Amino acid sequence: MKEINELILPDDLRYAVDHEWARVEGDRVRVGLDDYAQDQLGDIVFVELPQPGETLERGQEFATVESVKAVVECYLPVSGEIVAVNKQLEDSPELMNESSYGDGWMVEVNPKDLSEMDDLMTSAENLERLKGAE
Amino acid sequence: MTHTRGEKKWFLTELPVVDYGKARDLQLRLVAERKTGVIDTDIVLMLEHPPVFTLGRRGGIENLTVSKEFLEKEGVSVIQVERGGDITFHGPGQIVAYPILDLNETRLSVTDYVECLEEVMICTAADWGVMAERNPINRGVWVDLKKLGSIGVAVRKGISFHGMALNVNLSLTPFSWINPCGLEGVAVTSLEKELEQKISMEQVRRRVKHHIERVFGVELVPKNLSELPRLQTALSPRVTSD
Repeated sequence: MKEINELILPDDLRYAVDHEWARVEGDRVRVGLDDYAQDQLGDIVFVELPQPGETLERGQEFATVESVKAVVECYLPVSGEIVAVNKQLEDSPELMNESSYGDGWMVEVNPKDLSEMDDLMTSAENLERLKGAE
Repeated sequence: MTHTRGEKKWFLTELPVVDYGKARDLQLRLVAERKTGVIDTDIVLMLEHPPVFTLGRRGGIENLTVSKEFLEKEGVSVIQVERGGDITFHGPGQIVAYPILDLNETRLSVTDYVECLEEVMICTAADWGVMAERNPINRGVWVDLKKLGSIGVAVRKGISFHGMALNVNLSLTPFSWINPCGLEGVAVTSLEKELEQKISMEQVRRRVKHHIERVFGVELVPKNLSELPRLQTALSPRVTSD
């Protein structure tokens, strides 16, 4: 597993406590799992995503990710309607390991209230928290 | 939490044979109570199940090689659950441990946690001279490519549930009705089969408890379900804690 200082946590993302990331892209928010989570889980073998059109509150479960080690539930970092899901993950769940912030994205949300982004952690805050958990 | 000694304490709740669905309801409730802090201590449930096939998140019904009618006749149910892994079988004679742990508070990564569970089963088997090991093709512990113990872990909001199952005196016939873990040609074994004699479940339980304490560095404190006040109604009256 990676050392904390080896983790990649891009500055242009915001992070939730359960290791989801969120990035504003135009009028949408793209969501995935951060480098820490993919590293902890090991090889991801299955991803269960929601149906586009579902509207969820922040903190609600929107997906489950299964690795060779365990199943984890993922919680939406901002409220809104799911407007796109990454279909590629059905056949290639390993993208979440290989490219957590790129091709391994999970869903796109039409956010209800973009100010919710401000409640998420910055890269530096996330890193500080992870250091504290060591 | 108050630690009178340096060692961390976990509650241990030992139960007799518990219906799979009821045990799962109990786990889900404990997960919620652990998360909200109603229960501030990690808990291990140790029990056995009546005969049941369970399917993991990925399904696995296609790995059932007999008809549902056949299973009904045999009195074995099939349940879909949220743990990792594919189809597996539980039955009396298999020791099941479900640790409900706050992984963040315990400072355990999921990977380390699963390896610790495997370690508990490997060490327990070794106490009877059975050399079990990990296997890169699948989780759990194996003896010469035969599966002795399974792992299926789920994590909800940082709290673990489901866990491990070690085959002791289990009837292995039902495994011949499935491709265990979704793998064709996988054989299953038990301590009884490896040693060609019945083993005391009580003794194995004792060793499992010992190795949990050692591997996780904790002290297990026995608690009846009734000592966890909010949980009294989680199990049906016919199930009593011992």
